[in-house]
Amino acid sequence: MIEETMTPQERVQAAINLEVPDRVPVLPMQTYYFACRHKGLDGYQMVKERERALQAHLEVYDELGGFDGQVIPGISFIFPPRISGIIAEPLYKVPGVDLPRDSILQHDEREILLPEDYDLIADLGWNAFAEKYYSKFNPRPAQKILEWGERQTARYIADIRVWNEHGVPVYKGGEVFSPLMFFSMFRTLQQFTFDLYRRPDRVQAAMDALVEDFIQDAIEEVKLTGQTWVMLVLERGGCFYYPVKIFERFEWKYIKKMTKAWVEQGITPLLHLDQDWTLNLPYFRDLPKGCICEFDSCTDIFKAKEILGGKQCIMGDVRASLQTHGTPEEVEEYCTQLIDVVGKGGGFILSSGCFVPVDAKFENVKAMIHCAKTHAPAQ
Amino acid sequence: MSELVDAIANIKEDEVLRMVRHRLEVGEEPIALLEECRAGMGIVGERFEKGEYFLGELIMSGEIFKQAMSFIEPKLTGDVRSETIGQVIMGTVKGDIHSIGKDIVTGLLRMSGFEVFDLGADVAPEAFVEKLVESGAPILGMSALITPSFESMKNTVTAIEKRGIRDRVKVIIGGGIVIEQVKRYVGADAFTRDGAEGVKICKEFIRKANK
Repeated sequence: MIEETMTPQERVQAAINLEVPDRVPVLPMQTYYFACRHKGLDGYQMVKERERALQAHLEVYDELGGFDGQVIPGISFIFPPRISGIIAEPLYKVPGVDLPRDSILQHDEREILLPEDYDLIADLGWNAFAEKYYSKFNPRPAQKILEWGERQTARYIADIRVWNEHGVPVYKGGEVFSPLMFFSMFRTLQQFTFDLYRRPDRVQAAMDALVEDFIQDAIEEVKLTGQTWVMLVLERGGCFYYPVKIFERFEWKYIKKMTKAWVEQGITPLLHLDQDWTLNLPYFRDLPKGCICEFDSCTDIFKAKEILGGKQCIMGDVRASLQTHGTPEEVEEYCTQLIDVVGKGGGFILSSGCFVPVDAKFENVKAMIHCAKTHAPAQ
Repeated sequence: MSELVDAIANIKEDEVLRMVRHRLEVGEEPIALLEECRAGMGIVGERFEKGEYFLGELIMSGEIFKQAMSFIEPKLTGDVRSETIGQVIMGTVKGDIHSIGKDIVTGLLRMSGFEVFDLGADVAPEAFVEKLVESGAPILGMSALITPSFESMKNTVTAIEKRGIRDRVKVIIGGGIVIEQVKRYVGADAFTRDGAEGVKICKEFIRKANK
């Protein structure tokens, strides 16, 4: 074991500050589903049996030997107390309700917004549009939606308290989509792509009108929860999906605006970069200091170190399938490589690529955590 | 390169549709237009393979082609199917409702001359087997986004074995999270995380089968 001279928060903050911590911090992302499955809960129980699931989550954290905190404390959402914030969360299919009982929550991507909505959002802004047209997203009465949102946020805050009482820091205090990600999810990938070619000016006008409301939603969520990280959910704007000219106009411009506003408020933006962003990496050098670029294994994280090293904190990226179908030795070998190469000189947080999958092997997750605690970056 | 081929290759929707409508109106053979549209789509596929085009261009060119065909197809007479390289059954496996990866590979395979039977998402093992038997297709492509889907892939391969057709079907699995260990677990013949590479593997399957 490497001798620890920092608290988990100090260690993580050192990585964000691009300093060399006492050891590489390790933050497996979203261990909830994995922990519940490990304790024998099915998908329906994970969603519906809150107390039992939380207990399972805590027990598995301890059995893993602990790590540097929970980025996400459970599966509840955080919302600002208004309809516009609540309905900006995508729709899900729920195990035991819309999916087989032993399935997991899955995004239900449907065409909720129509092309004409771009103009309405551009005219009204997101909040006013959402207050007027929320039934497009959710058929329930406004009061019911608000009450559901309040319950979710209260549960999220309660989960933070439980983890803190367990001696474990929680980091994420807010979460929003980039405008591109939002429209792609609510128009569907296919229809949104048509929009980018057929009505690009209208799309941009809507994004311009919406982004400030999303920025403020996140700031308000951070105030509600008291945790200073905001997860900016990104997937659909990178080089897997679109050429750089589309990224520049419809994604990068807003990422810059959002992260700048948050950093000025003392918030740490966690850029949750699913899928491949390798060609977009040079842009991220210009993010404000104090961001985290989190990769899911589709982006070349070693190339990210070459380009972003000394500029941005990098987090990732033990591939989900390595956690489910690899061996502990293979996980350790990959984590060692990450620590040696990406961790060299600091600015690195070891993590799962995206979330820890529900069916990850316990010994593989443990191997990832053990590697961070025992292996120092090669000099 | 004709103007129509060029317009499709460069994702110019309005120009493509204007040219197709005009050329049909002045009495040009629809089969000639069909071949030009296919040629344009072939260039899109090549540019994707070279990394010059991305998923967005694939989606948009597919839409343009579909619209052009809505004008051309009613004018075609007789059997105008082109020679295909081979047949592929594609689908996202049971328990997984994501279809983006599967759609990418399906589009690329079609641009490369394969006939693809796209069974959609959340496809049960029995549905894959039935289509393989009915069509006689020599290749099965299965896609997944989430790790629990690997079990469904394995169940599908087992179902193919039980039906006694495993020796004539090549199985390729794909998705951003798939690795060699998963290929072995599932019992597949190949895996890929890259759509263009998936097409090359399918071509290789066909080449070896035709030897």
